[in-house]
Amino acid sequence: MRVFNRIVMTLLFAGLFVLGVYMVVYSFDLFGRSLTSLPISDFSGGLQDFLTRVENGGLSAVSIIILVLLAILGLIWFIAELRPSAPRRVRMGNGTYVTRGVVEEEVSTVAEQVPDVLGSSVGVRARRSPGARVDLEARVRRGEDLGTIRSGLRTRVQEHLSERGLPVSKLNVKLVEADPRQTKTRVQ
Amino acid sequence: MADGIQLARAASVAALATEGVHSMGRGRFVEAATYEGSEKVSGVVVGPEDLEIHIVAGYPLPRPIPEIAENIRERVAPQAGGRRTRVVVEDLEVAEDESL
Repeated sequence: MRVFNRIVMTLLFAGLFVLGVYMVVYSFDLFGRSLTSLPISDFSGGLQDFLTRVENGGLSAVSIIILVLLAILGLIWFIAELRPSAPRRVRMGNGTYVTRGVVEEEVSTVAEQVPDVLGSSVGVRARRSPGARVDLEARVRRGEDLGTIRSGLRTRVQEHLSERGLPVSKLNVKLVEADPRQTKTRVQ
Repeated sequence: MADGIQLARAASVAALATEGVHSMGRGRFVEAATYEGSEKVSGVVVGPEDLEIHIVAGYPLPRPIPEIAENIRERVAPQAGGRRTRVVVEDLEVAEDESL
Protein backbone atom coordinates (compact mmCIF):
# COMPACT_ATOMS: atom_id res chain seq x y z
CA MET A 1 0.00 0.00 0.00
CA ARG A 2 2.86 2.39 0.61
CA VAL A 3 3.83 2.68 -3.05
CA PHE A 4 0.18 3.20 -4.00
CA ASN A 5 -0.17 5.87 -1.29
CA ARG A 6 2.95 7.59 -2.48
CA ILE A 7 1.62 7.74 -6.05
CA VAL A 8 -1.75 9.07 -4.88
CA MET A 9 -0.17 11.68 -2.63
CA THR A 10 2.26 12.75 -5.38
CA LEU A 11 -0.62 13.26 -7.82
CA LEU A 12 -2.66 15.06 -5.16
CA PHE A 13 0.14 17.45 -4.28
CA ALA A 14 0.95 18.03 -7.96
CA GLY A 15 -2.72 18.94 -8.52
CA LEU A 16 -2.73 21.25 -5.51
CA PHE A 17 0.44 22.92 -6.77
CA VAL A 18 -1.09 23.58 -10.18
CA LEU A 19 -4.28 24.92 -8.58
CA GLY A 20 -2.15 27.12 -6.31
CA VAL A 21 -0.34 28.61 -9.30
CA TYR A 22 -3.67 29.31 -11.03
CA MET A 23 -5.03 30.89 -7.85
CA VAL A 24 -2.08 33.28 -7.57
CA VAL A 25 -2.25 34.18 -11.27
CA TYR A 26 -6.00 34.82 -11.24
CA SER A 27 -6.11 36.53 -7.82
CA PHE A 28 -3.46 39.10 -8.71
CA ASP A 29 -4.68 39.63 -12.28
CA LEU A 30 -1.36 38.49 -13.72
CA PHE A 31 -0.82 37.90 -17.47
CA GLY A 32 -4.17 39.49 -18.23
CA ARG A 33 -6.11 36.88 -16.25
CA SER A 34 -8.71 37.78 -13.66
CA LEU A 35 -11.12 35.84 -11.46
CA THR A 36 -14.12 37.17 -13.35
CA SER A 37 -12.87 35.57 -16.56
CA LEU A 38 -12.74 32.06 -15.03
CA PRO A 39 -15.08 29.70 -16.91
CA ILE A 40 -16.52 28.13 -13.77
CA SER A 41 -20.10 29.34 -13.96
CA ASP A 42 -21.18 26.12 -15.75
CA PHE A 43 -19.30 23.98 -13.26
CA SER A 44 -20.71 25.76 -10.19
CA GLY A 45 -24.20 25.63 -11.74
CA GLY A 46 -23.85 21.87 -12.32
CA LEU A 47 -22.58 21.34 -8.80
CA GLN A 48 -25.48 23.28 -7.31
CA ASP A 49 -27.88 21.26 -9.40
CA PHE A 50 -26.31 17.99 -8.26
CA LEU A 51 -26.45 18.99 -4.58
CA THR A 52 -30.09 20.03 -4.93
CA ARG A 53 -30.89 16.61 -6.39
CA VAL A 54 -29.01 14.90 -3.50
CA GLU A 55 -31.03 16.91 -0.97
CA ASN A 56 -34.29 16.09 -2.71
CA GLY A 57 -33.39 12.42 -3.09
CA GLY A 58 -33.72 12.68 -6.83
CA LEU A 59 -30.42 11.10 -7.91
CA SER A 60 -30.33 8.75 -10.87
CA ALA A 61 -29.52 5.04 -10.32
CA VAL A 62 -26.12 5.44 -12.04
CA SER A 63 -25.17 8.32 -9.71
CA ILE A 64 -26.19 6.30 -6.65
CA ILE A 65 -24.17 3.29 -7.84
CA ILE A 66 -21.11 5.48 -8.45
CA LEU A 67 -21.39 7.07 -5.00
CA VAL A 68 -21.80 3.67 -3.31
CA LEU A 69 -18.77 2.31 -5.20
CA LEU A 70 -16.74 5.34 -4.12
CA ALA A 71 -17.79 4.77 -0.50
CA ILE A 72 -16.84 1.06 -0.69
CA LEU A 73 -13.50 1.96 -2.29
CA GLY A 74 -12.82 4.44 0.50
CA LEU A 75 -13.73 1.85 3.13
CA ILE A 76 -11.43 -0.78 1.57
CA TRP A 77 -8.61 1.74 1.38
CA PHE A 78 -9.20 2.76 5.00
CA ILE A 79 -9.12 -0.87 6.23
CA ALA A 80 -6.00 -1.57 4.15
CA GLU A 81 -4.32 1.42 5.77
CA LEU A 82 -5.22 0.24 9.27
CA ARG A 83 -3.70 -3.20 8.72
CA PRO A 84 -0.10 -3.23 9.91
CA SER A 85 2.39 -4.19 7.22
CA ALA A 86 3.88 -7.68 7.26
CA PRO A 87 7.25 -7.94 9.00
CA ARG A 88 10.27 -8.32 6.76
CA ARG A 89 12.12 -10.77 8.95
CA VAL A 90 10.99 -14.14 10.28
CA ARG A 91 10.65 -14.13 14.03
CA MET A 92 11.99 -17.22 15.74
CA GLY A 93 10.98 -16.23 19.26
CA ASN A 94 13.14 -15.02 22.12
CA GLY A 95 14.64 -12.09 20.23
CA THR A 96 16.07 -14.04 17.30
CA TYR A 97 15.22 -13.25 13.70
CA VAL A 98 16.24 -14.63 10.34
CA THR A 99 15.80 -13.03 6.97
CA ARG A 100 13.40 -14.65 4.53
CA GLY A 101 16.35 -15.44 2.25
CA VAL A 102 17.86 -17.74 4.87
CA VAL A 103 14.64 -19.74 5.18
CA GLU A 104 14.30 -19.85 1.37
CA GLU A 105 17.83 -21.16 1.02
CA GLU A 106 17.33 -23.85 3.65
CA VAL A 107 14.03 -25.04 2.18
CA SER A 108 15.34 -25.00 -1.36
CA THR A 109 18.47 -26.95 -0.40
CA VAL A 110 16.58 -29.69 1.42
CA ALA A 111 13.84 -29.93 -1.21
CA GLU A 112 16.35 -30.48 -3.99
CA GLN A 113 18.01 -33.26 -2.00
CA VAL A 114 14.82 -35.31 -2.28
CA PRO A 115 15.42 -37.79 -5.15
CA ASP A 116 12.18 -37.15 -7.01
CA VAL A 117 12.51 -33.37 -7.04
CA LEU A 118 14.11 -31.92 -10.16
CA GLY A 119 13.90 -28.27 -9.15
CA SER A 120 12.12 -25.98 -6.76
CA SER A 121 11.08 -22.44 -6.08
CA VAL A 122 10.35 -21.17 -2.60
CA GLY A 123 8.38 -18.21 -1.30
CA VAL A 124 8.61 -17.22 2.34
CA ARG A 125 6.35 -14.78 4.14
CA ALA A 126 7.13 -13.51 7.62
CA ARG A 127 4.34 -13.25 10.15
CA ARG A 128 3.93 -11.20 13.28
CA SER A 129 3.81 -14.39 15.34
CA PRO A 130 6.89 -16.65 15.42
CA GLY A 131 7.36 -18.80 12.34
CA ALA A 132 7.20 -18.29 8.62
CA ARG A 133 4.69 -19.21 5.99
CA VAL A 134 6.50 -21.23 3.35
CA ASP A 135 5.18 -21.87 -0.16
CA LEU A 136 7.25 -24.56 -1.83
CA GLU A 137 6.79 -25.43 -5.48
CA ALA A 138 8.67 -28.56 -6.49
CA ARG A 139 9.03 -29.81 -10.03
CA VAL A 140 8.81 -33.57 -10.60
CA ARG A 141 8.68 -35.91 -13.60
CA ARG A 142 5.35 -36.68 -15.21
CA GLY A 143 3.63 -39.86 -14.07
CA GLU A 144 5.15 -39.96 -10.57
CA ASP A 145 3.07 -40.72 -7.48
CA LEU A 146 2.44 -37.14 -6.39
CA GLY A 147 0.82 -38.00 -3.05
CA THR A 148 3.79 -40.00 -1.82
CA ILE A 149 6.29 -37.41 -3.04
CA ARG A 150 4.32 -34.58 -1.42
CA SER A 151 4.11 -36.22 2.00
CA GLY A 152 7.78 -37.31 1.87
CA LEU A 153 8.90 -33.84 0.84
CA ARG A 154 6.80 -32.18 3.51
CA THR A 155 8.20 -34.45 6.23
CA ARG A 156 11.77 -33.95 5.01
CA VAL A 157 11.45 -30.14 4.93
CA GLN A 158 9.78 -30.00 8.34
CA GLU A 159 12.42 -32.25 9.90
CA HIS A 160 15.25 -30.24 8.39
CA LEU A 161 13.87 -26.87 9.48
CA SER A 162 13.19 -28.25 12.93
CA GLU A 163 16.83 -29.43 13.17
CA ARG A 164 17.96 -25.94 12.21
CA GLY A 165 15.59 -24.35 14.70
CA LEU A 166 13.63 -22.51 12.03
CA PRO A 167 9.97 -22.39 13.00
CA VAL A 168 7.39 -22.81 10.23
CA SER A 169 3.81 -21.91 10.95
CA LYS A 170 2.48 -23.08 7.61
CA LEU A 171 4.07 -25.14 4.86
CA ASN A 172 2.35 -25.36 1.49
CA VAL A 173 3.80 -27.91 -0.89
CA LYS A 174 2.79 -27.76 -4.52
CA LEU A 175 4.05 -30.29 -7.02
CA VAL A 176 4.31 -29.39 -10.67
CA GLU A 177 4.88 -32.01 -13.33
CA ALA A 178 7.63 -30.81 -15.61
CA ASP A 179 9.77 -31.90 -18.49
CA PRO A 180 13.19 -32.92 -17.09
CA ARG A 181 14.85 -31.14 -20.02
CA GLN A 182 13.53 -27.85 -18.69
CA THR A 183 14.31 -28.31 -14.99
CA LYS A 184 17.38 -27.47 -12.96
CA THR A 185 18.44 -31.12 -12.79
CA ARG A 186 17.40 -33.99 -15.04
CA VAL A 187 18.17 -36.83 -12.63
CA GLN A 188 18.89 -37.01 -8.92
CA MET B 1 28.28 -0.12 31.38
CA ALA B 2 30.12 0.35 28.10
CA ASP B 3 29.28 3.28 25.82
CA GLY B 4 27.87 2.83 22.33
CA ILE B 5 30.93 2.19 20.23
CA GLN B 6 32.72 0.16 22.91
CA LEU B 7 29.68 -2.02 23.33
CA ALA B 8 29.36 -2.41 19.56
CA ARG B 9 32.99 -3.46 19.33
CA ALA B 10 32.63 -5.94 22.19
CA ALA B 11 29.43 -7.35 20.72
CA SER B 12 31.05 -7.75 17.32
CA VAL B 13 34.06 -9.57 18.79
CA ALA B 14 31.82 -11.79 20.91
CA ALA B 15 29.58 -12.64 17.97
CA LEU B 16 32.49 -13.46 15.67
CA ALA B 17 33.99 -15.71 18.34
CA THR B 18 30.80 -17.76 18.48
CA GLU B 19 30.80 -21.09 16.68
CA GLY B 20 28.56 -20.97 13.63
CA VAL B 21 29.03 -17.26 12.92
CA HIS B 22 30.74 -16.63 9.60
CA SER B 23 30.79 -12.83 9.62
CA MET B 24 28.84 -9.80 10.71
CA GLY B 25 25.84 -8.78 8.63
CA ARG B 26 25.44 -5.33 7.14
CA GLY B 27 21.69 -4.96 7.29
CA ARG B 28 19.29 -5.86 4.53
CA PHE B 29 16.95 -2.90 4.27
CA VAL B 30 18.84 -0.32 6.27
CA GLU B 31 22.46 -0.37 7.22
CA ALA B 32 23.11 -2.10 10.53
CA ALA B 33 26.08 -0.32 12.08
CA THR B 34 27.17 1.86 14.98
CA TYR B 35 29.11 5.04 14.31
CA GLU B 36 31.14 7.24 16.57
CA GLY B 37 33.64 9.79 15.36
CA SER B 38 35.46 8.25 12.45
CA GLU B 39 34.82 4.71 13.62
CA LYS B 40 32.15 2.38 12.35
CA VAL B 41 31.25 -1.08 13.64
CA SER B 42 29.21 -3.03 11.10
CA GLY B 43 26.57 -5.51 12.17
CA VAL B 44 25.78 -4.05 15.58
CA VAL B 45 23.14 -1.42 16.34
CA VAL B 46 23.27 -0.04 19.87
CA GLY B 47 20.12 1.60 21.17
CA PRO B 48 19.35 3.05 24.57
CA GLU B 49 17.39 -0.01 25.61
CA ASP B 50 18.23 -2.63 23.04
CA LEU B 51 21.08 -4.10 21.11
CA GLU B 52 20.75 -5.62 17.65
CA ILE B 53 23.40 -8.00 16.35
CA HIS B 54 23.32 -8.94 12.67
CA ILE B 55 25.23 -12.03 11.66
CA VAL B 56 25.88 -14.21 8.64
CA ALA B 57 25.86 -17.84 9.73
CA GLY B 58 28.28 -20.39 8.33
CA TYR B 59 26.77 -23.27 6.40
CA PRO B 60 26.37 -26.10 7.22
CA LEU B 61 25.20 -24.92 10.60
CA PRO B 62 27.05 -26.58 13.48
CA ARG B 63 24.04 -26.09 15.77
CA PRO B 64 20.46 -24.92 15.41
CA ILE B 65 20.10 -21.18 14.89
CA PRO B 66 18.36 -20.51 18.26
CA GLU B 67 21.34 -22.08 20.05
CA ILE B 68 23.80 -19.93 18.12
CA ALA B 69 21.72 -16.85 18.96
CA GLU B 70 21.54 -17.81 22.63
CA ASN B 71 25.30 -18.31 22.73
CA ILE B 72 25.86 -14.84 21.25
CA ARG B 73 23.48 -13.34 23.80
CA GLU B 74 25.31 -15.05 26.67
CA ARG B 75 28.65 -13.75 25.45
CA VAL B 76 27.37 -10.20 25.00
CA ALA B 77 25.28 -10.02 28.19
CA PRO B 78 28.10 -8.84 30.53
CA GLN B 79 28.67 -5.72 28.38
CA ALA B 80 25.08 -5.12 27.31
CA GLY B 81 24.10 -3.32 30.50
CA GLY B 82 20.64 -4.87 30.66
CA ARG B 83 19.77 -4.03 27.07
CA ARG B 84 17.43 -6.42 25.30
CA THR B 85 19.54 -8.25 22.73
CA ARG B 86 18.14 -9.23 19.36
CA VAL B 87 20.05 -11.47 17.00
CA VAL B 88 19.28 -11.26 13.30
CA VAL B 89 20.56 -13.97 10.96
CA GLU B 90 20.86 -12.21 7.63
CA ASP B 91 22.35 -14.84 5.42
CA LEU B 92 24.09 -18.18 5.20
CA GLU B 93 27.60 -18.46 3.85
CA VAL B 94 28.57 -21.84 2.48
CA ALA B 95 31.97 -22.89 3.81
CA GLU B 96 34.57 -23.60 1.14
CA ASP B 97 35.30 -27.26 0.67
CA GLU B 98 39.01 -27.58 1.37
CA SER B 99 39.22 -30.94 -0.35
CA LEU B 100 38.44 -29.39 -3.72
